[in-house]
Amino acid sequence: MSQDPTANFKQVNHSVTKVDARQLALGKPSYVADFAPADALVVKMLWSPHPHARIQSIDVSDAEKMPGVKAVLWHGNVPRIAHCTAGQGFPEPSPYDTFMFDTKVRFVGDRVAAVAAETEEQALAALARIKVKYEILQPVLSIDEAMADGAPVIHDEPEAHVPIPIPYEPKKNLVARVGCEAGDFEKGLKEADFAFDDTYETPYAQHCPIEPYVSLAQIDSAGRIVITTSTQVPFHCRRIVAQTLGIPVQKIRVIKPRIGGGFGSKQEILLEDIVAMFALRTGRPCFWQFTREENFRTGRTRHPIRVRIRAGVKKDGTITAIGMDCWNNTGAYGGHGLTVVSCCGSKVLPLYRCENIHFLGKVYYTNLPVGGAYRGFGATQAFFGMESTVDKMAEAIGMDPLKFRQLNHIKSGEGSPVFAALGEGKEGVPMTVGSCALGECIVKGAEAIGWKNRADWRRKSGRYRRGIGMAALMQGSSIPHIDMGGASIKINEDGSFNLLVGATDLGTGSDTVLAQIAAEELATTTDKMIVYSSDTDMTPFDVGAYASSTTYLSGEAARKAAADAKRQILHTGAEMLNLPEDQVVCKDAHVQSRDGQHKVSYSDIACYSLYSKNQYQIIGTASHITQKSPPPFAAHFAEIEVDTWTGNIKVLKYVSTIDCGTAVNPALCEGQTEGGTLNGISYALTEQYLFRNGRMTNASFTDYHIFSMRDKPPIQAIIVPSYEETGPFGAKSVSEICINGPAPVFGNAIYNATGARLNEFPFTPEKVLKAIQAVKR
Amino acid sequence: MKLCEFIRPASLPAARDNLRELGAKGMILAGGTALHFMQDHTPVTAVDITRLGLSFIKHEGAFYNIGATTPLADIQRYRAPRWAMHEICRRISTHQIRNISTLGGNICRVFPWADLPVVLLAMDARMVIYSGKETEFPADEYFKTQPAKRFLGGDILTSVKVPALQAHHGFGSIKVVRTEASFAMVTIAARLELDGANIKSARVAAGSAIPFPRRLPSVEAALVGREAATAVFQEAAGKAGADAPWRGREGMSPDYSRHLAEVSILDALERAATFARGRAE
Repeated sequence: MSQDPTANFKQVNHSVTKVDARQLALGKPSYVADFAPADALVVKMLWSPHPHARIQSIDVSDAEKMPGVKAVLWHGNVPRIAHCTAGQGFPEPSPYDTFMFDTKVRFVGDRVAAVAAETEEQALAALARIKVKYEILQPVLSIDEAMADGAPVIHDEPEAHVPIPIPYEPKKNLVARVGCEAGDFEKGLKEADFAFDDTYETPYAQHCPIEPYVSLAQIDSAGRIVITTSTQVPFHCRRIVAQTLGIPVQKIRVIKPRIGGGFGSKQEILLEDIVAMFALRTGRPCFWQFTREENFRTGRTRHPIRVRIRAGVKKDGTITAIGMDCWNNTGAYGGHGLTVVSCCGSKVLPLYRCENIHFLGKVYYTNLPVGGAYRGFGATQAFFGMESTVDKMAEAIGMDPLKFRQLNHIKSGEGSPVFAALGEGKEGVPMTVGSCALGECIVKGAEAIGWKNRADWRRKSGRYRRGIGMAALMQGSSIPHIDMGGASIKINEDGSFNLLVGATDLGTGSDTVLAQIAAEELATTTDKMIVYSSDTDMTPFDVGAYASSTTYLSGEAARKAAADAKRQILHTGAEMLNLPEDQVVCKDAHVQSRDGQHKVSYSDIACYSLYSKNQYQIIGTASHITQKSPPPFAAHFAEIEVDTWTGNIKVLKYVSTIDCGTAVNPALCEGQTEGGTLNGISYALTEQYLFRNGRMTNASFTDYHIFSMRDKPPIQAIIVPSYEETGPFGAKSVSEICINGPAPVFGNAIYNATGARLNEFPFTPEKVLKAIQAVKR
Repeated sequence: MKLCEFIRPASLPAARDNLRELGAKGMILAGGTALHFMQDHTPVTAVDITRLGLSFIKHEGAFYNIGATTPLADIQRYRAPRWAMHEICRRISTHQIRNISTLGGNICRVFPWADLPVVLLAMDARMVIYSGKETEFPADEYFKTQPAKRFLGGDILTSVKVPALQAHHGFGSIKVVRTEASFAMVTIAARLELDGANIKSARVAAGSAIPFPRRLPSVEAALVGREAATAVFQEAAGKAGADAPWRGREGMSPDYSRHLAEVSILDALERAATFARGRAE
């Protein structure tokens, strides 16, 4: 083997064309809405206008008589089954605090009643005829209000509970609590030459996928419910819909076609139970698509989190203590609340070597929009505080913040007590870092941004001031001992393969990546793979697309399934060549003798195995769980220009380096890196939820500002390879980490430009201006 | 607004007749982008005026005459000596929208965030309205109240006459946005007439951070007769607070809106002065 383990790869580490590129480029029917039959009933929902209220009465009789109306659902005519909408492993580390419909509404945008009608206009007209009488309750509109003694109880229903033994006190609005200690944190603080205690606030945000939430349910000829839906978690979706409707899993089939983006938002089951229930009630196809406004109000959001960082550092750069306390506002329902706050600690604290660590995370209900999974969750929020404080520590001891990070960041072969302490609803898994190219990421990023030219803010003057900031980052790859991915692969007569995976390509390109991995293992080409994902009737189980798991976890399942098929191919090929199995190898879609003198093609092997002798189906199948969650690493840098008269920030250049192990498809990897980075830039600079009495006032793309390509600053993505021995062909993950950088990078760059330190974002011009005006030179 | 019928008259008089007959049920259709913001469900008949020869830009003596159905993209692309209208048009929305959105559509019904009324106020433009015969209305009169009221009787805006800037005239506009395609946080436009180093006349207008576009008389008064210099511009910009009810938008406080407007006025005046002194095109 050469020194570079990827040198001989023919499929992996090559930028092959996405397997679904042609159908998407040609606009072929691919997405859920493309499959809605003309006679599908249209579903519309009456949403709560109040943040906190009890439904005293509801009269749907007029609505039921309206033209075109086929069914109306409300709390009086559906099963009352407590469940959780978060698509997580089972049993979920989230409270069962949700019902299909309830007698109480807990945020503006909560469900009240739904109508299925022949047309959208008829459905909307019927909604207007539903009479609801509310008893208005005092709303809880901030996490401080939620934590206060005597705060209104948001979940006072007796059924609310957690399915696993984790702290849950709904009478105190407490959704979850998690913590860990290592060494002696207080002692570490005392040993420090400099101590820091800063509190940071991170805001709400929406994922804004181009395709909104959308679902279609139909009853097939066998009487089963077929749900075609835009989901990241088809198998969790099947389980949760079965639970919510009180019917067996056997009665439900979930199909995930192509997805127009998810970013975590579609890890929730928000529509599927309703379309399924309507389909059962009416026998008709039922179609429901959120408007953009509904996506903002009712769709899931990024949890706003308050992060307090306490830390100590010695003059020589040794970090003596790191403490992180997090208060997570999960909104009206608790899905993902615990896991998000756990990730604040587990994905951030291990980055820097420190013996004395404290972590405590608490999650509270409020009557605000509901938090959920969102790319990078927990880490995105906590890295803002952590990397801001790291810069402060470096400045206090007079060290270049880049060198301070180089001195302290975790390296290959090192572990952290946090890995073992923090898992998902239970303890984590002890782990040492295998591959780590963070050092090289820092060096290459620094060179690309021109770090050596970075000057202290005190030397800058004038209206427009430039600053350079950086952040070091890590994430994970899958949830060890919890996530499972499966794949099967069978050969066809022409030497092509059907690769069936439960993993969920939501526009990320994972179908292509898994095909490349299988093709590499089978010594054939990626274009020979016919990938099908995902269908609960047809494909093996997979937990779905989240936790940066698909390439690392499902990729290894695909590789193992391919290896299983390869073993059978070698067996049959050897039989056909009349050679011992140990004398043949797979190469270029052939089985051949070691000297290459005799060979037989995969096509001939398939035909032989299917039609000629000792017939059988060559089919490999495998599943995979992970024993560790190897972190991808990244170093982000930006140069910005601050208008000190208005507070406006212009991003002049952004450098996003990434160590994702082997980049299975470098072009897709760069795409993920640029996309995630731009997503983070937008979150840091312009995205914000504005509220009046708990109601979001800017629920449209007119008023909620996300960056488009017109706003994209120059972004340089630099892939820095490493080789993760536990991953498929050396791969780790890439999708989430990139969003974690911009907020701390800009915070540090603003400081470098002006001396103003902001502890909350988005960095709106007004906030930046105020901070600049407060700087004393 | 719910479009139920569509008619395409063959001439301007026919279009006016159609609109008069339809009354409140008639709706002029040019680019159609403004309909997005008129989301009631009143049934209307669209009267398409896009084929009546109203899409043009002509240099006519002391004016540039711009047809009412001229797409913003055409105004953005047009070039002529001391032409200034392209500057704001390239900042309005996206390429795709500018290809269909028209000058008339932007000023016949003025939304608070509209940029063109601000520019036309500063430029002292004249709106030409057909009511059986063509009549010119100066911008000050036209934008005194919501112009949509003028068109209820079936009259039609046919063109806008923008004064061609003279050698000693200068123009500058500033549009502050959160993202490139978003509506302005504040829009400022300024036209200066210089007499040597001094300001002979000034027109300064604002929009977006106030309820309706308007000129800023205190700012203008603080400029006239004084030297075209940064300190003077700064002092004049500081008068903006008294001229308009600045309001908070998009999470910004009213104080910040006013501050942003003052900085933008200063920037617009600097641009206008540079233009007047003879800038590189």
